Amino acid sequence: MERRTFIKLAGASALSIPLAAPLARPAIAQGATTVRWWYHFDNPQHSPAELVAKFEAENPGIKVQAESIPWGGGNDYQTRLFAALVAGNGPDCAMVRLSWAARFQQMKALAPIDDLIAGWAGRSDIADNIWKLNKGADGKQYYLPLQYVVLYLYYRQDLFEQAGLKPPATFEDFRSAAKALTKSDLSGFGLRGGAGGFDHWGPFVLGGGASFEKGGMLSEKALAANRWFVDLTLKDKVVPASAPTDSFRQIVDTFKAGRTAMTIHHVGSANEIVGVLGDKVSAVPVPRGPDGKGWTYFGDESNAVFAASKAREAAFKWCAFLSIAENNVVLNKFTGQLPIASSAAKDWTLHPKRFVEASAASLPIAASLPDSPKTPDFIARIWPANMQRALLGQIQPDEMMRAVEQHFHG
Amino acid sequence: MPFWFLLPAILVTAGVVLVPVAQTAWLSLQDYLLYDPDNARFIGLGNFAKIAGDEVFWISLGQSFIWIIGVVGLQFLLGLAAALLLNQSFWWRGLARSLVIIPWALPSVIIGLMWTWMYDFNLGVINDIAMRLGLIAAPIAWLARPDTALYAIMLALIWQGFPFFAVTILAGLQTVPAELYEAAEIDGATRPQQLFHVTLPAIADVIATALLLRTIWVANSLDVILVMTGGGPGYATHTLPLYAFLRASSSMEFGYGAALALILTAMLLGVVFLYVRQAARSIET
Repeated sequence: MERRTFIKLAGASALSIPLAAPLARPAIAQGATTVRWWYHFDNPQHSPAELVAKFEAENPGIKVQAESIPWGGGNDYQTRLFAALVAGNGPDCAMVRLSWAARFQQMKALAPIDDLIAGWAGRSDIADNIWKLNKGADGKQYYLPLQYVVLYLYYRQDLFEQAGLKPPATFEDFRSAAKALTKSDLSGFGLRGGAGGFDHWGPFVLGGGASFEKGGMLSEKALAANRWFVDLTLKDKVVPASAPTDSFRQIVDTFKAGRTAMTIHHVGSANEIVGVLGDKVSAVPVPRGPDGKGWTYFGDESNAVFAASKAREAAFKWCAFLSIAENNVVLNKFTGQLPIASSAAKDWTLHPKRFVEASAASLPIAASLPDSPKTPDFIARIWPANMQRALLGQIQPDEMMRAVEQHFHG
Repeated sequence: MPFWFLLPAILVTAGVVLVPVAQTAWLSLQDYLLYDPDNARFIGLGNFAKIAGDEVFWISLGQSFIWIIGVVGLQFLLGLAAALLLNQSFWWRGLARSLVIIPWALPSVIIGLMWTWMYDFNLGVINDIAMRLGLIAAPIAWLARPDTALYAIMLALIWQGFPFFAVTILAGLQTVPAELYEAAEIDGATRPQQLFHVTLPAIADVIATALLLRTIWVANSLDVILVMTGGGPGYATHTLPLYAFLRASSSMEFGYGAALALILTAMLLGVVFLYVRQAARSIET
């Protein structure tokens, strides 16, 4: 082809593109709705692209723009989400937690989705108690459950067998076992006093009689339970010296290294721990208090469709898609948590069975933290600062409880 | 006419500096919760009055002074020593100059994580080495003890930041005329006398600028603390910017956080003012 002919043809082609493009473009694309979804995975290398592609193929009129936001200990994700909503540039829907619900409601960021849930076929595949836990304070449904974990007690079954001990079922069993197992280079309990440590405090103090109701932190039972918990560090000395600031990574790594005999976490760390300790480790529900009551943290993750969204139904479709059994399984492979859909949970093989069973056995005493706008601040600031001061003997345990009471009730 | 040439720069500065500062100042006068923007209300100096009675603010302020003076001071001394060494002639000087920059090149979050594991009570290399050398009988929970936590973090930041001084001072050293040293030697000056009467006066402006910049950066830095202890145990590693961040980020009290940030800014402006005044004097003389 001669140079001049080539240029003519190229020019004609270029001119024809804007004219031909509207004809060639599929009609559906013109009306495509875009759903912006914010998510976080612990491992940033995991991507929901496979799920997005599947959803878009099933719903040709909807495009999903999945935006990965760093978790950053909870504050990064949370603050960015709230800031984006205040600025009017929030996503249509996002992964959220129950403990943030009150703040969302206070800023009127959520609209009930009861009508959409009522018409959703996957509704019955999620257990009733999960729906109840996810309800707003006014009884309406604002969240669509996505995944969960329940905190249980990891214990070294080999060390327990060698010492002739049974896995602890009560607080006193627990303390006796922790004392019996504590030696020079081994601590009975890997206590988490750093970030996220309220999930170690909750089973013993909330399970021991404290509550978030007005006056609930200052009852005799509550104060006694908190003193008992602090004594694990100050008097019984069954925890590592680093416990006041130990966080997730420290408690898991120390447990894996054989420096602690028990710790509390959830199924999300099971594979990592089994990878090192194999059959030497097992799990049971957290111990119960003197009156037989117990408490463990229900670690939730749901999806919320925001009130300002102009693609409410499309956003709900995407969130509902993620909660349907087969998709829920794929998603939970990325997050390492448990599927919310009952039919998916039955054949769940991602974690060893004993840890899934310990999670299920913990559900009857599992609860979330109070539905209050002050809860996130309790988790991130009030609890760690006061707990650490109590564990170091800088303040009395009762003073810590007064600080928690004051935070919630003034 | 010259004013119009300055206009674009003034507009850009106003847009990226003055407007956010004004917004922060305005925010500091309000009771503004990020999750409750509809109920934001003007409270005048209410946040500042509350800060005056806030125990954690005073703890953070005191620790900020220890933090700034300790970190900047030791970074400077270490950087000066490194620069003087790197200014000498030895066969692997090029490699040494490259190596010294490594801590400065690492992101603060990585520094924080790295030192957290070095200090780890159970698995950390610092306890391991100290025990092997017989310096300690049992591991120390460096980051969980209120008497060691702040200093342990300071050490991490000193390590990270001293190359800035080393490189800056080294650049300054290379501008000192060799004739000054020749004259000093002829006059019989010893090496320490040369350092104090020739070298340091010759690079005084470089040192002052480096100290000013580093003071501002260190005063504002919170990422290493956030990664290593989150401000704990208790309030043992709280500094003013960290406290402002926690109140704004965790509590979402943007008004209170802005007031705390404004106090820090005012203090730093004081440092800048002193520097500018000093610099102006030296130009006049």
